[in-house]
Amino acid sequence: MGDVVIQVEELSKVYRLGTIGSGSLRQDLARWWNTSVLKKDDPFYYPQLSENQEPMDKNQKAFWALQDLSFEIKQGEVWGVIGNNGAGKSTLLKIISRIVKPTKGVVRGKGKISSLLEVGTGFNQELTGRENIFMSGYILGMTKQEITAKFDEIVDFSGIEKFLDTPVKRYSSGMYVRLAFAVAAHLEPDILILDEVLSVGDAEFQKKCLGKVKDVSRSEGRTILFVSHSMQAVSNLCNHALWLQKGRLMEAGKATTVINNYIKGVKKSQLHRTWDNLVEAPGNEFVRFKSIRLTPRFSEPDAPLDIRTPLTLEFEFWNLVEDQDLSIGLHLFSYGGECIFDVPSPSFQCKKGLVEGECTIPGNFLNDGSYYISLIVVKNTSVDLFYYEECLSFEIEDYRGDIKWFGKWMGAVRPSFPFRLEQKELELV
Amino acid sequence: MLESKEVTNHWEWEINGRTRYWGLNLHELWHYRHLSLSLVRRDFLLNYQQTVLGPFWLLVQPILTLGTYVLVFNKLIGVSTGSLPPVLFYLSGIVLWNFFNDTFMGTSFIFRENAQLFSKVYFPRLIIPISQMGTQIFRFGIQFTLLLAMLAFYALFKNYTLPTSFLAVTLPLVIILVGLTGLSLGLIFSVVTAKYRDIINLVTFGVRLLMFLTPVLYPVNYVPENVRWVVQFNPLTSYFELFRRALLGQGVISPESLGYSLVFTLILLVISIGIFNKQGDKLIDVV
Repeated sequence: MGDVVIQVEELSKVYRLGTIGSGSLRQDLARWWNTSVLKKDDPFYYPQLSENQEPMDKNQKAFWALQDLSFEIKQGEVWGVIGNNGAGKSTLLKIISRIVKPTKGVVRGKGKISSLLEVGTGFNQELTGRENIFMSGYILGMTKQEITAKFDEIVDFSGIEKFLDTPVKRYSSGMYVRLAFAVAAHLEPDILILDEVLSVGDAEFQKKCLGKVKDVSRSEGRTILFVSHSMQAVSNLCNHALWLQKGRLMEAGKATTVINNYIKGVKKSQLHRTWDNLVEAPGNEFVRFKSIRLTPRFSEPDAPLDIRTPLTLEFEFWNLVEDQDLSIGLHLFSYGGECIFDVPSPSFQCKKGLVEGECTIPGNFLNDGSYYISLIVVKNTSVDLFYYEECLSFEIEDYRGDIKWFGKWMGAVRPSFPFRLEQKELELV
Repeated sequence: MLESKEVTNHWEWEINGRTRYWGLNLHELWHYRHLSLSLVRRDFLLNYQQTVLGPFWLLVQPILTLGTYVLVFNKLIGVSTGSLPPVLFYLSGIVLWNFFNDTFMGTSFIFRENAQLFSKVYFPRLIIPISQMGTQIFRFGIQFTLLLAMLAFYALFKNYTLPTSFLAVTLPLVIILVGLTGLSLGLIFSVVTAKYRDIINLVTFGVRLLMFLTPVLYPVNYVPENVRWVVQFNPLTSYFELFRRALLGQGVISPESLGYSLVFTLILLVISIGIFNKQGDKLIDVV
């Protein structure tokens, strides 16, 4: 630890919307003729940004994917890169992976970099699993010896040994992803760059991958840079985080702090959602949600939503199949991604049509902070029909009454249990 | 204090906005040699997997072309092939031209065809044209074998006397030079076609025209003296003539024309690799 392995200095990247030139030689020649030969004003005249930059469109069609980014990453650190869509996360990873050139600024570093921006890079549908392991390995920068040495491990991790000599076009998508990730997981770079790759594949495999990445970072001291939309994954995996917004660095530092600030700054409470028709409603051929609403039961009309407020979750959904035995599970997550509780409803024989339900989270139970709710619809108390993830989100303010201490209140929940404290005996000191 | 500063300043690599003409890194290319080999292998597998005749398709094209040329140019129009049997004359031209044509066309659209791959992973971009050339050398090998077989057939059954010339040792060199010329032109056009889509038409059309300026269908000494310079301006001309001279014993070559071609090819190669390196990193934003 301690040694800086990646140093990013005033990194900027400009994309011109549209393409370089006009994409047609005739127009580019006409422009060159007008400006260079006739010395006329260019109809596409771009003012120069500075001496070493490409000309810019005067209609401000330039798009700063990254703007003046500076940070340092030390050896063995695991960094999560978070931010909204279009914040520049992928651009940053692409620059560090040497796929695109920055417009300005430098990245300096030490050690071998491998990046995994997509699952299955270099895979060819026609080739067999075995051939694709080699192909993909080579493209990701492994040598023949490395792949040969790890071959059995890769096959083992992917669990497809039976289909090793079958063209991957005959694989199921799950097998394809498993094999592709297995190759990538056995790369041995000093710095590993991952872009949202864990968002594919089934839950079990995701867990396996996450576990593998964790192992790699912990035991082998790799430096990892990881982009994800899942705060759960980032907070699970990373000790540091980088928050980008519209190409600018908002904050870099300890993962928990940055994630909390990101959530505060970006995520808004969403207390109710309704859908007017079946087509737009979330769900599948079995059930579709019509409305989900979280109603605070305030003791007085304009009280804040704080830890004392009971919250009632009301929901309606369309049951699309006659006579199903359904139950609903309410999953409450902290924004860090930890599940606080999982409360199932009793099961209920539903006729085709609209079904409603509600559940109340009592006051004086949750700690202050941001939460989100996921709802799961289960058939016969055993088969998952539909999991609606992160359907609502809300924030609970702190309330401490007479307590004069203002530090962060610990714990996932803050229930008010009966507590007794009394004087037993008087003794002279 | 000083020491620690020295340690942290010792970077192994640096990424910045500058693009250079001389960014050729042979060490890096060597590291990725297995990728090249397996790309060649892949091309081969993909082309001939699930086909009936497999690589024999490579022989069908030159044989059919040969038949057409013999019929049209020799029998109908009556283009002289000098003292050589027309079959050997045309086949030698077709095989070498195919090699040039395929190397050039295979390299010309690299950025277009691999945009998806290039935008997801870094490896030296030059690997792709190099593997491409590997594939073409392999295909050429098969067609060249056909030519040798035909030569043997003529020597054994048609009383054709094989020329024995020390020039035969130059054959590998000529083949490599023709390949490199195709590669260099292809590299330049790969950059251009990535930027301008309308050039694609020009490339396919232009290469067909170029064939008529190359002694594929006629010997150079058949060209009238006053326009011969047009053909000799084409650097491929002396390669084709040398190829035929070495193999069949007939062809017009001179040290000047060979020197011109050699210098042309080498300069083109250096320039094209430079352009490819310089533009390669930028193009990914455009394609």
